[in-house]
Amino acid sequence: MTYSSAASVNRQRFSSRGQNAVSFKTSSKRLGPVSNAIALLVMVCLIGLVYLTQVTKTNSFSYEINNLNKQQSQLKEEQKDLELTAARLRAVDSDRVAQAAQGLVSLAPSGTITE
Amino acid sequence: MNTPFQANPNNRIRVLYGVIFVICIIIGLRLFYIQVIRHSYYEAQARESQLKRYEIPAERGTLFALDGDEKVPLVLNELRYNIVADPQIIIDKEETALRVADILKVSKDDIKKSLQSGSRYEILGKKQTKDVKEKIEKLMADGDIIGVFAERTVQRVYPQGTLAAQVLGFVDDESKGRYGIEESLNQDLSGTAGRVRALTDQNGIPLLANGENVQEDPIDGKDVTLTIDVAMQKQAENILQDGLKNANSNSGSVIIVNPNNGQIKALANYPSYNPAEFQKVEDTAIFTNPAVSSLLEPGSIMKTLTLAAGLDSGSVTKDQTYYDPSFWKIGDATVRNVEEDGGAAVRSMSDILRYSLNTGATWLIMQMGGGELNQKGREAWYDYLTNHYGLGKVTNIEQGYEEPGYIANPVEGYGLNIQYANSSFGQGILTTSLQMAMAVSAVVNGGTYYQPTLVAGKTDSDRIYAENKPKIVYNKTVSTEVSATLVDYMQVALNNNNLLKKFGRPGYIVGGKTGTAEIANPAGGYYEDRFNGTYVGFVGGDRPEYVIMVRVDEPKVSGYAGTTAAGPIFGSVVTMLIDNFSVQARNGQ
Repeated sequence: MTYSSAASVNRQRFSSRGQNAVSFKTSSKRLGPVSNAIALLVMVCLIGLVYLTQVTKTNSFSYEINNLNKQQSQLKEEQKDLELTAARLRAVDSDRVAQAAQGLVSLAPSGTITE
Repeated sequence: MNTPFQANPNNRIRVLYGVIFVICIIIGLRLFYIQVIRHSYYEAQARESQLKRYEIPAERGTLFALDGDEKVPLVLNELRYNIVADPQIIIDKEETALRVADILKVSKDDIKKSLQSGSRYEILGKKQTKDVKEKIEKLMADGDIIGVFAERTVQRVYPQGTLAAQVLGFVDDESKGRYGIEESLNQDLSGTAGRVRALTDQNGIPLLANGENVQEDPIDGKDVTLTIDVAMQKQAENILQDGLKNANSNSGSVIIVNPNNGQIKALANYPSYNPAEFQKVEDTAIFTNPAVSSLLEPGSIMKTLTLAAGLDSGSVTKDQTYYDPSFWKIGDATVRNVEEDGGAAVRSMSDILRYSLNTGATWLIMQMGGGELNQKGREAWYDYLTNHYGLGKVTNIEQGYEEPGYIANPVEGYGLNIQYANSSFGQGILTTSLQMAMAVSAVVNGGTYYQPTLVAGKTDSDRIYAENKPKIVYNKTVSTEVSATLVDYMQVALNNNNLLKKFGRPGYIVGGKTGTAEIANPAGGYYEDRFNGTYVGFVGGDRPEYVIMVRVDEPKVSGYAGTTAAGPIFGSVVTMLIDNFSVQARNGQ
């Protein structure tokens, strides 16, 4: 190929009829392998960080749940204590019932109604 | 002169590098060994230390009883604490023993002895109150003692004291129900323990961020409501105790049952015990419920069943009369009457109960055999005893250690005729008080044998209360007509008894039958001066509302034990039921 024909072919690559041949080159910028590795590492670290924050946050709820469970147990214990006290006070053998029974007065009819 | 090695400092560095390299290789190999080759082992070790497994105990169900229509708790759970120690970490055992003994109100030497043991777990005090636990924890928090802890535990508490103790039973130290309802319904009452398998922090708190955590909540035991009426039970216990005292008897029982559904309304025994202090009981025989576990020859109360069987089988009719010679020779034995009124005479069917005729009861068995004591009669009577009256087998009431009783085989054995003649008036046959109460209930309620029960209802798995429905075991114990006849005859029997007729009340039907049973001598035959007194009867308005069975063991009173020892207790129970428990009077009265 002669120089002129080569130059002609070159021009034809960048121009076609009716167009200004400024530049039609599509440049592709790619990260190099080192940059890729670093980016990946950073992403992994970020994901790890997010994971760790979530795990820590979730685990902190464990303590809240534990405290609430403790409160629930305490309230249940108090409820049971009260139930027991109530049952003891209502027992047929209890002092309270005995005292109430002693206070009862025997009622005998004072007369009969005749029609 | 310098060697090349000394002359060149780089050589030293190379050697150093070499050493570091070798160390790195060794570390690498070691890491490879630990992390790859021994991976499973160390993984398991790590999991073992981080993963905690523990059981969440289910709460035992509460036992309720009735007070009228209202439910009242009979047995509840109370949180208590076992005070335990790890002696190996306690340095000053003397001081610790002193402090702990002061709180537990026990001997310091006992505590010290426990602390000097080589174990890592010693129980210093069982089932202590919250107050004690807080005092121990304060000592620990202040640093005054170390190595002493409070462990949670639950104990059964009985707000009604000793009421119905043998019906209830108790729960032992292994949380297992023993005797009574606690044993019989142990599975229902126990529930199912939950479990936790979780990754925990160093304090054992489960951490949520572990997908493998497993938590199964416990299923608490069912709450059971008994048919027992607390007020009726209490009064029955008091009446029994007074009655036994008056009869100079050491033991006895009273059963009050609703014959129209089989519900036991009161079951009193004496002597009894305190279930909250069952450990203090020396004779464990007291734990069993004698009304279902203690066998007796019921005596003449059996005649109500014999007469009902004779009438129901069509062997005799209610208007029939017969000549009673006042004795029957059966083989080498002679059956005689005990009552003064039991001489030779023409007798009616009601006379058999009215005069408590042993010869009359024997005659009934003869009629079931076609006129003589034979296999046919024995088999017919055996069929009534077992398949109509439920004797000789357990009633399946919700109680531990129920006894089935004993009835001789009608076909095989020696002296069967005399054995069966004896059984017609309640000797040579073994029953429980409950069996007799239920059989008589079936005879007087129109002929339906209900399964006796102490359980009015239970909560289901969703904690919703469901009432138990009455369960019919035999629906043709006797015919309705025979049942009505026996209700009349039993009233006649009561009214014919000079000592007991006062317990009849205008407007109410009250009837019953006494029993004075000889006590078998283990050496053979019967004691001549030892008897058990029994009474079975009913009270109601238009129909029997309650059947009452009384048993008095070996009373020391003059007269027949059934009349003078058991009868008055029956009468007091009848009065109590009419006055305090609204027995409906007859229509229009």
